[in-house]
Amino acid sequence: MTGWHVDEETLARYAHGRGPLSVGASVEAHLLSCARCRALLTPAVELDRLERLWDDVVERVDAPRPGMVERLLRLAGVSEDTARLLAATPTLRASWLLAMAAALAFAVFAAIASGVHERGTLLFLTVAPVLPVAGVAVAFHRGLDPAYEIGLAAPYSQVRLLLLRSAAVTAVTCAAALVAGLLLPERALTAAAWLLPALALTSLTLVLARRVDVIYAAGGVGAVWVVTVVSSHLHVGQFAVFGAAGQLACLAVAAVSLVVLVADRDRYATRLGGV
Amino acid sequence: MTGSVLIEGVTKTFWRSPAVAGADFAAGHGVTGLLGPNGAGKTTLLRMMATVLAPDSGRLRLLGHDPATPSGRLAIRRRLGYLPQEPGFHRGMTVFGFIDYVAILKELTDRRARHDEVRRVIDLVGLAPVSGKRIRAVSGGMRRRVGLAQALLGDPDLVILDEPTAGLDPELRLRFREIVSRIGEGRTVVLSTHQTEDVAAVCQQVVVLHEGRSLFAGTPAALIEQAAGRVWLDRTRGAGAQLAWRNGDGLVRNVGDAPAGAELMAPTLEDAYLLLVGDKELVVTS
Repeated sequence: MTGWHVDEETLARYAHGRGPLSVGASVEAHLLSCARCRALLTPAVELDRLERLWDDVVERVDAPRPGMVERLLRLAGVSEDTARLLAATPTLRASWLLAMAAALAFAVFAAIASGVHERGTLLFLTVAPVLPVAGVAVAFHRGLDPAYEIGLAAPYSQVRLLLLRSAAVTAVTCAAALVAGLLLPERALTAAAWLLPALALTSLTLVLARRVDVIYAAGGVGAVWVVTVVSSHLHVGQFAVFGAAGQLACLAVAAVSLVVLVADRDRYATRLGGV
Repeated sequence: MTGSVLIEGVTKTFWRSPAVAGADFAAGHGVTGLLGPNGAGKTTLLRMMATVLAPDSGRLRLLGHDPATPSGRLAIRRRLGYLPQEPGFHRGMTVFGFIDYVAILKELTDRRARHDEVRRVIDLVGLAPVSGKRIRAVSGGMRRRVGLAQALLGDPDLVILDEPTAGLDPELRLRFREIVSRIGEGRTVVLSTHQTEDVAAVCQQVVVLHEGRSLFAGTPAALIEQAAGRVWLDRTRGAGAQLAWRNGDGLVRNVGDAPAGAELMAPTLEDAYLLLVGDKELVVTS
C-alpha cells in the first residue's frame, strides 16, 4: 500500500500507451504495489491493445534468432523469408566456406611457391572458376539438403530456390576468389580473367542439371574445363583460354545457357519438382 | 470413384523392379490407412501422392487436380501436408526455426501470420516446451512430432503421413493416434503403416497393399468380415490353418480354413490382414 494514487487522467493515458515514457515507468512502478490503482486501470485497458502487446511479447520471445549469414543477407537488403531460405544453403555454411578458402589458399600458395609465375597463375585461373560450380552443385544436391523431400512437396518454386541459392553461392565464391587473385603476382590477369569462365561453367552446369544429377553435371563441366585449359595451354599457347577469344566464347556460353535456363524453366520445375 | 484422392492402375518401376504394380483406390474425408508388409509399395505410392515422384502409368487425381501438370502440381502442393518416412531436418535450427523455414517454403511470407501459424502447429503436437531447442538436442520422438507439425502448416486439405508411428514408444504412439484422429476430422489423411493396431484405432478406410498391388480397399469392418468363420481355437495346429500360434492360455489360435465343429473366434483386423496377405512363412506350429 502507498500513501498516494495515480490520478485518473494519467492512468487513462498510461492505459492507452500515451504520455511520456518517464511517467509511464513511474506509474508502472506504483502499480506493482497499489491494488487500488490496478483495479482502476483494469477496465481502462482495451482488450485489443492488450492482445496486441501480448502478441508482441510472444513474438519477441519465440521468433528464431537469425544466424550470421542471415543477418548479413538482411543487411544486404535481402527480404527476411528469402534470407532464411538462403541461410539454409549447405554451401553457405562455415564448413563449406572454410573448405573453399582452403582450396583458394592452396592455389595461391602453389602459385607463389612454384616460382614460375605462369604455371602458378594458370593453376589459379583453372581452379577459381570451378569453385562456384562445385558450390552450386553442393548447394542444390538432394543428398545434402536434409529437408529436400519436404521442400519438394511444398509450393515454393524449386527453380527460384535453385537460382537464388546458385546466385548467392556464386557471389560468395567469386568474392573470395577475387581477393585471392589480388594476392598473386600476375594480378592484372588473375584479378578478373576467371570471372567469365566461372559464369559460363556455372550456368552450363545449371542447364545440364535439368537432364542429369547436378553433381554429375558439375563433375562433367569441371573435367571438360580442366582438359580444355590444359590442352589449349599445350597446343595453342599460354593463357589462350583466358584471352579475348576465350573470354568471348565464355560470354557466349553463359548467355546461351541463361537464355535456355529461363526459356526452359518448366522443364526444370518438372525435374527438380520430382514429378 | 470419387474423393480427394483417386488412384487408378498406378504403376512405378525402379531398375526393372516393380515397386507399385497396379494400385487402385479412392480416399475421401477421414483417415485412410495403407497397410502392407515392408516392400509392399506403400512409400512409393505415398511419394507419388505427395507429388515428389511420377508414376510410370496409371492415373492420379488429388484434390481435383492432375499432379502431372505444373499448374495441377502447384495447386495440390498449396493444399498438401507431407511427412516423409525419414524426414530430414536442419539440425542446427531450433524447432520453431525449422518449422518456420518450412512455412516459408509453403508460401507463408507474412512474418507475423507465419509465426502465428508455426505456434499453432507447435501447440497442436505438444512441442511448445521445446520450441526454442535445437533439433539436434531433442529426442527422436520429438523430431517425429516436428515432422508432423510441419505437415500440418497451413491447415492442408490433404495430409500424407508415411509411417508416422514407426519407432515410437507406446505412449507416443497413442499421442500420435490422438493427433492423427483429430486432424482427420474434416480433411483427408492418408497414412501408411504395417501396424494393424494403428489402422484399427484411427482409420475409417483401409487399403491393403501387397507386392505393389492393392488387394483390398474398404472399411476395417469389411476387411474383418472377410475373416469371419476362419479363426478358431484348438489344442493343436489345425490342418487347414494358414497361420497358427499358441496364445497366453496355452491354446492355439488358428487362422485359415476352419474344420467342421471348430470353436470359432471373432476375427481381428490382424487375422483378416494376415489371411489376405497370406504370408505362410509366419506359421508357428505347436
